[in-house]
Amino acid sequence: MLKDKSEYMEILIRGIWRENPVAYQVLGICSALAVTVKMSTALVMAIALTVVTAFSSLIISSLRKKIPSNIRIIVELAVIASLVIVTDEVLKAFFYDTSKQLSIFVGLIITNCIVLGRAEAYALANDPIDSFVDGIANGIGYGLILVFVAFLRELLGSGKFFGIPVIPQFLFDAGYQNMGLMVLAPGAFFIIGLLVWLKSSLTGPSPEKR
Amino acid sequence: MSETKPDKNSRKNVIKFALGMSLICSLMITAAAGGLKGFQQANIELDKKINLLKAANLMDGNKKLPKEQINTLYDNHIRKIIVDSQGKILDTDSQNSMHLYFFQTDDVIQGYILPINTRGLWGKIQGYLAFENDGQTVSGFSIFSHSETPGLGGEIESAWFQKSFKGKKILNSQNKFVSVGIAKGKTQNLPEKDQEHFVDGISGATLTGKYLSQGIKSTLIKYEAVSITFRQKTLKVREIK
Repeated sequence: MLKDKSEYMEILIRGIWRENPVAYQVLGICSALAVTVKMSTALVMAIALTVVTAFSSLIISSLRKKIPSNIRIIVELAVIASLVIVTDEVLKAFFYDTSKQLSIFVGLIITNCIVLGRAEAYALANDPIDSFVDGIANGIGYGLILVFVAFLRELLGSGKFFGIPVIPQFLFDAGYQNMGLMVLAPGAFFIIGLLVWLKSSLTGPSPEKR
Repeated sequence: MSETKPDKNSRKNVIKFALGMSLICSLMITAAAGGLKGFQQANIELDKKINLLKAANLMDGNKKLPKEQINTLYDNHIRKIIVDSQGKILDTDSQNSMHLYFFQTDDVIQGYILPINTRGLWGKIQGYLAFENDGQTVSGFSIFSHSETPGLGGEIESAWFQKSFKGKKILNSQNKFVSVGIAKGKTQNLPEKDQEHFVDGISGATLTGKYLSQGIKSTLIKYEAVSITFRQKTLKVREIK
């Protein structure tokens, strides 16, 4: 069943770039607004989502021939919810501070459209290893956008990089000010909007417009 | 998608599958919750210590210290005290006894910390309110657990809010008890005489502020006897040795 590397590369590139979940499929926006004020929370969220998407796709894909189709969505949600709760418990045990900052957003991975979207659109029709790679690819695609948005928001909004101040003091003395808009959710809206525009102008418009 | 078994969607199979799935998922969650409980408990204990130290201004909230240093700081400065409802210090727990903490440097008591445990908008709010040894000036405030809305009521855990409690008084100019509370809006809109009993409110979190104010007031009333021993300087350090 093992395929050669180029096919996995193909799945990876599609998830990370060509059909990026945030910039192309416009999924997972809610959490992308919420956790991107700081880079550290964005990074942990990205890792948590990648793990959950990858393993839920793997499990659902291996069960795909056994899942009765009329309770399909409930089964998918049960798998995803269990994985999310386990992830939340692990974060509480080993990354307590970050887990406190992420508060309910880890739990809300359950409602993140990317996870269920990949399970429905890909894992149900493809074999487990492909689905696992697809889950990782989409998680990374989401994570990259998240970290990039968080980078801009943290830099412009609070003048920091991973919590370390990077804007030199003399700039503040010269009248530079942190951009309050970036700390609030609308700041993320603007950045994500610009990213979607950038992505579409580089690779062509989304299929509806074609 | 090819179907391997023709009866995959039969009622019997659906029920069997659903039951099996529920069993496996619940086992997985139970295993994770049970197996990691020890680590989580240790984190919560450490977090409580950090918040006690923060309330007592013995630690900067923005700095991260290694675990050992936190434990040493805690052991050197913070002492857990049991009192009865009259503010008398007891040796052991008894009925109606209450807990609080003293913070001290070189055996001189700098002040005391009261545990705040109140309802919030969505769930319990737990934190610490520290007083200087004059028994009326707030020296610090910290929150270690809440379930308020992130970004709105959740702002109670931010540094600017907690720092704004510092220096507020629970007595008015006639030495009568008035408590400290969270204003609706900015304190500068309040009459001059109220300003030292209120901190700036959080916009969009009026109810959280209201519950927290009530919780602080009821805690202060409960512990008023302790505050009086500090105000009258009748507390004997020997008693607690």
